[in-house]
Amino acid sequence: MTEREQNLRQVLQEGAARTNTESVRRRITIDPVTRLEGHGKIDIFLDETGQVERAYFQVPELRGFEKFVQGRPAEDMPQITSRICGVCPTAHHMAATKALDHLYRVDPPPTAKIIRELVYNTFMAEDHALHFYFLGGPDFVVGPDAPPAERNVLGVIGKVGIETGRKVIAMRRRWRELIALTAGKSVHPVFGLPGGVAKRVTPEMQKQFQEVAADGVEFAKFTLQLFEDVVLKNTDYVRMILSDTYTHRTYYMGMVDDSNRVNFYDGSIRVMTPQGKEWKKFPSEQYLENVAEHVEPWSYVKFCYLKPVGWNGFSEGIDSGIYSVAPMARLNVSDGMATPLAQQAYEKFFSTLGSKPVHHTLANHWARLVELLYATERMTELAADPQLTDTTIRVLPTEKPREGIGVVEAPRGTLVHHYVTDENGIIQKANLIVATQNNAARMAMSVEKAAKGLISGADVPEGVLNRVEMAFRAYDPCHGCATHSLPGSMPLLIRVRDQSGKTLATLRRDFDGSVRRD
Amino acid sequence: MIDTSDSGLDRPMSAVHSCSTRVLCLGNDLLGDDSLGSRVASRVQQFAPTDVEVFSTSESGFSLLDYLLGTHRLIVIDTVVTGNALPGTIYKICESELKLHAGGSPHYIGLFETIALSRYLRLPVAEEVLILAVEATQCFTVGDEMNPAVSAAIPALVEIVRNRIGARTTHRTRGFVA
Repeated sequence: MTEREQNLRQVLQEGAARTNTESVRRRITIDPVTRLEGHGKIDIFLDETGQVERAYFQVPELRGFEKFVQGRPAEDMPQITSRICGVCPTAHHMAATKALDHLYRVDPPPTAKIIRELVYNTFMAEDHALHFYFLGGPDFVVGPDAPPAERNVLGVIGKVGIETGRKVIAMRRRWRELIALTAGKSVHPVFGLPGGVAKRVTPEMQKQFQEVAADGVEFAKFTLQLFEDVVLKNTDYVRMILSDTYTHRTYYMGMVDDSNRVNFYDGSIRVMTPQGKEWKKFPSEQYLENVAEHVEPWSYVKFCYLKPVGWNGFSEGIDSGIYSVAPMARLNVSDGMATPLAQQAYEKFFSTLGSKPVHHTLANHWARLVELLYATERMTELAADPQLTDTTIRVLPTEKPREGIGVVEAPRGTLVHHYVTDENGIIQKANLIVATQNNAARMAMSVEKAAKGLISGADVPEGVLNRVEMAFRAYDPCHGCATHSLPGSMPLLIRVRDQSGKTLATLRRDFDGSVRRD
Repeated sequence: MIDTSDSGLDRPMSAVHSCSTRVLCLGNDLLGDDSLGSRVASRVQQFAPTDVEVFSTSESGFSLLDYLLGTHRLIVIDTVVTGNALPGTIYKICESELKLHAGGSPHYIGLFETIALSRYLRLPVAEEVLILAVEATQCFTVGDEMNPAVSAAIPALVEIVRNRIGARTTHRTRGFVA
């Protein structure tokens, strides 16, 4: 038995023992029973006095990936991995393409890198904008305590106006059309090749990129202003962002350029301590020397932590290897933004929140908009680059393949693709570390902390459902790639049990947003 | 063996244009029961007349917006896991039966919200929406085979689509029925 297997067995035995003990305690379950199971399940255990003792945030994990790709040509990976994820295919495509560069030890020509980064920033802009308006918006634009019937995407539009809604849709369409124009498909791009890209950018395409990029900057400025007007001027929201319920002092990780500024496409991985000091900066190829995975018996997810610091349970502080990725983490690990307007927004972010690093999970929503502005400005810079339309877009690989690692910053955080092949480039082993996995430990802590702060005994107020979900929604987690959410009849359920397992109360939310008790 | 080649059915948004009826098949053909949509799509495409568009996509949530616009009628094929019915059970859901789902999905808005949003923003969304969903079991294992009970629903599903298309569509000379 290997050391890893022994560790796993021990963890499972401990977990089983703990589960047996805990099963006699009071238990609250927030259990999505439909296809929404793809989005997680929360078990909350109460102690004898009715206070929350532990909360488990469970998510199903995509299985079988490693086996599926074994024996396939490495060149297929950008297509296969982008097809597996229905949410951020471009991020997988790009990480896979970079892993192939590394696998074949080939450095793409400058124009290919410009095209890749341009497409990638277009994708980031689209994803970030959609998250703010349609996914995070119900929490902030409408408000966490608004009636459930209003706390949805229509409520957001009601608040910001139909014209703004149409503006978001129009901007998104133009971004997606650019991705499709360059990458072949906006859904599953087909342009990344080891050593370059498949299609050049013509002068006509460049003009189109420049127009859309310029409009994108205005759109991002408009969105940041909206955030200021609707969120920052509302003291209740600001108080909630700063509240202890949504605060964790952990390490942070993200990719930075040579000047330690945020970069989504390429650079070094930088990790900062909870006190804001640089812990380490390393090339992305050394990722696996610095990150390890911890297994818990109650979850399929492997919880990433900093290997040299070690796993110290679900705890905060400098002695716990738990770290966070995603927009707020990226701002925390950088010394600034590489574009002027985003730099201003970055400075305002930290001066308003009063410290660096910012530890308030809900500040991710704001950080996301700072990055939206950066992505649009970066698009403008890249679209103006005279080298963009050069015809040299690929260097043919000549080295024998063996092992390749590719890293990008996905909208939700650091994304790693790692392949090992035989000398013919046939995959022997593949491993992906997705952004949500990097965040998994901190996210579990967030759910537990929110539950502890909001739940006391069997009396679970309606607002708790949303407030607990908000604790992980800020990370924009990606669970169960490529799932759809055609609802059944009972999407969310909280069950409170006493020590004998008897149900004390049931709180359920139906798909029309109504909440009722049985 | 699962085919990972490009089926050509998941065309980009720019290829989505006006038509009278669109059959939108959702699901990921690499994920067990989730491949139901793409299998139905390839069958329906064999007999769909030229004014009927057939799409198969693994996109979800708000990304589906592009597929909802520019058609008079929309038929959506998908899988669903309710745990309340036997695998292979077919659900027929009309838009009028849909209720807006408030914040239940922490990650993305779903098909229903996207339809509601499109109407609210006065976008040219399909006037008539029918959803055909099949109770599934296993949608999380890459490369998994379909549950036989779920795949057994495919012929019935295809027949429902055929009848819907046949009843309402004027066949053009280029169209044919298998």
